[in-house]
Amino acid sequence: MDVLIQTLVAGVLIGGIYCLIGIGMSLIMGVMGIINLAHGQLMMVAMYITFVLSSYMHVDPYFSLIVAMPALFLLGCFLQKYLLNPLMKIDSILPENQVLMTVGIGMVLAEICRFIFTSDYKTVQTSYGGEAFFIGNISFNLPMCIAFIFAIVITLALFWFLAKTDTGRSIRATAQDKEAATLMGVNSTRITIITFGLGSALVASAGSLLIPIFYLFPDIGGPFTLKAFVICILGGLGSTVGAIFGGLTLGIAESLGATYVGMGYKEMVGFVIFVIALVFLPGGLVGIKRLIKS
Amino acid sequence: MRVLKILMVFLLSVTLCFTFGMSSSMAAGSVKVGIVLPLTGAQAKFGEVEKLSFDLALEEINAAGGINGKKLELLIEDDTGRPEVGRSVVEKLITKDKVVMLGGGYSSSVTYAVAGVCQQNAMPFLVNTGSADKITTSGWDWIYRLNPPASHYADAVESLLVATIKPKSVAILHENSLFGTSGAKAFEKTCNNLGIKVLLKQGYEHGGIDYRPVLTQIKRLNPDIIYMVSYIMDASLLMKQSREMKLTPKMFIGGAGGFTLPEFVENAGKASDKVISATLWHQVLPFPGAMDYYNKFVAKYNRDTEYHGAEAYAACYVIADVLKRAKSFGNTDIKKALSETDLMTVFGQVKFGTWGKMINQNKADTYVVQWIDGKLEMVWPEKASTKKFEYPVDWLKVWGY
Repeated sequence: MDVLIQTLVAGVLIGGIYCLIGIGMSLIMGVMGIINLAHGQLMMVAMYITFVLSSYMHVDPYFSLIVAMPALFLLGCFLQKYLLNPLMKIDSILPENQVLMTVGIGMVLAEICRFIFTSDYKTVQTSYGGEAFFIGNISFNLPMCIAFIFAIVITLALFWFLAKTDTGRSIRATAQDKEAATLMGVNSTRITIITFGLGSALVASAGSLLIPIFYLFPDIGGPFTLKAFVICILGGLGSTVGAIFGGLTLGIAESLGATYVGMGYKEMVGFVIFVIALVFLPGGLVGIKRLIKS
Repeated sequence: MRVLKILMVFLLSVTLCFTFGMSSSMAAGSVKVGIVLPLTGAQAKFGEVEKLSFDLALEEINAAGGINGKKLELLIEDDTGRPEVGRSVVEKLITKDKVVMLGGGYSSSVTYAVAGVCQQNAMPFLVNTGSADKITTSGWDWIYRLNPPASHYADAVESLLVATIKPKSVAILHENSLFGTSGAKAFEKTCNNLGIKVLLKQGYEHGGIDYRPVLTQIKRLNPDIIYMVSYIMDASLLMKQSREMKLTPKMFIGGAGGFTLPEFVENAGKASDKVISATLWHQVLPFPGAMDYYNKFVAKYNRDTEYHGAEAYAACYVIADVLKRAKSFGNTDIKKALSETDLMTVFGQVKFGTWGKMINQNKADTYVVQWIDGKLEMVWPEKASTKKFEYPVDWLKVWGY
C-alpha cells in the first residue's frame, strides 16, 4: 500500500509542474492554432535566467520567478511579433511554416545558451534542495511540494485573468472564433502577441520551479517540448482545463509505469497513453465531457 | 555567364592548390593522430578532462623531442556523444586528414561505432575509455583497449564484498545505455557466483527527474546493498532522493561512471558521503608519475582530474611510444608496434593481450574509493589504501537526520 501511495504522491507532485508546462503550450495552440515546438527551449532559457540570478546574485530560485516570468513574457512577445506574425500575414505560405519557424527558434535558443554557458551541467544548490518531510511512511520532497503549490496559484491566477479581465476575455474570444472576434473589435494581432508571451511566461515559471529539483544544460528543452505536446493532445488541443488533467494524468501514469512496469519504460508509458488518446479520444479528456453532454 | 564560369574555375583551382600545399607542408614536420572525444553534448564534461590530459601529455612529449624528431600532432574531433557523428568525424579523419592512427573513444556506444569504421579501414585504434565488452570481443584485430572492460569494473568491489560487507541481497540500478547495461549484467553475474541474491535489476532512462517510484520499490525489498551504474547527474539525483526517502541499505555502491567526480559531491551534498564506488585509478597509486600527473594537471588547469584524465594521459604516452617504435607510419607497422607495447604509464602497466574472449585488451586492476568527509579516498585493496574503509555506516546520522 505504501508503495502505491508513494508512487501516486510522486506522480501528482511532478504532474503539477507538467500542468504548467502544458498549459502554456495549450494556450498558444488554442489561440493561434499552431504547435509551439520551441516550448521546452523557452523553459530552458528561463532556467538559465534563474541559474544566473541565484549563482551570481544569490537570489532564491523562487524569487527569481519575478524576473524570469516577465523576461520570458517579453521574449515570447518579441518572437511572436517579429518572427511568427510576419509569416501569418503572407497568404502563399502554409500555416505549417509557423510550426517550422518555432523549431528553428528552439534550435537557435539552445545553441545561444550553449555558446554562453557551454554544455556543462549546472545546478543551483539551495539549503532546502534535499529536504523532505514524512507523513506516515510517505516521503514528501519539500521543493516539489512548494512547486506544486506555486503551480496551483499560478494556474488560478491565469484562470482569473482569462475570466475577469478584458484582455483575458479577448483571448478566449479569439480562441473560440478568430474571425468573429476580429469582427467584434478584438485586435487579434495584439492578442496573439500577448498569448505567446503568456504561454512563455507560464513555461518559464515551470522552469524556475524545476531548478531546485533538477539540473540544466542546453539540450534540456527537447524532452520537455515533447512532454508538453503529449499533455496538450491528452487534454484536448487548445484546452487549458484539459491541459491540467493532461499534466496530472501524464505525471501519475509515468510514476505508476516506473513502479509497476519498469523505470526504463517510464517514457514509453507516456507515449502509449499519447497513442491511445489519439486513437480513441481524438478530442482529448475534454472530449469525454462533450461526449457525455451529447 | 561565361565570365562567371571562368571565375569559378579559377577560384576552385586556387583553393585546391592551397589545400594541397598546406597539407603536404604540414605532413613533412609532424605525425598526425586523430582523437575522437565528446567535447559538446551530455558527456562533454568527461570529454574535456580527457582532452586537457591529452594536451598536457602532448606538450610534454613534443618538448622532449616528439616522435624521433618529428612533432606529434593530435587532431581532436568532437563526436558530440552520438554514434553517427562519431562515425562521420572518424571517416573524415581517416580519408581527409590521413591520420596514421586513432585514439580517444569515450562513450561505449560511440566507441563501438567508431571501432567498426576503423576495423573496415584497417586503421589502428587505441581506445582509452569506451568500455563495453563487445568492443574487444567482436574479433576486431585493429582495435586495442587500454582501460579494463565494463565487466571487470567491479572486480575490486567483488573482493571487498567478500571480505567485509558480506551481503545477502542486492538491488541493481543502471542507465539504459551500452555501458550501463553491460556493467549491470556483469555485476549480476558476479552476484550469482558469490551467492548474493539479486532482488531487482532495473534500467532507467538517463535524465529522469524523479527516481522515487523505483527507490520506493527498493525500500520495500530492503536489499543489503544498492549497486548503481549511473552518470554524474543521475548519480547525484539517485543519492539525493535515497536520502530523502531514508533508504538505508548496508552500502551504496557506484559501479564507476559518475560517482567519482568532484561534481558528484558538489551536487549530492550530504547525500554523497560514505558512498563507495569502483574506480580504475587514483593519484595515490604507486605508479611512476601518477601523483606528478595529478599535480601538474591541477596546477595547469586549476581544476580536479580523475581516472578518465589519467586514461587519456597514459594513452597519449602509449601512442607516442608506439609511433617511436614503429618501423614506418604505415598501418601494419603501427599495428605491429601496438601489439609489442610494454610500457609503464601513470595508469599502470600497458600490455595488450588476448584473454577470455577479448582481443588486444590491456589488463588493469580496479580499485574501490569512498567519499569520506567530502574527499575521495582510496579504501580497497588494502595495500593501496589511503584511509580505512568506513563500515558499517549509520546513514541517518551521516545524512544529518
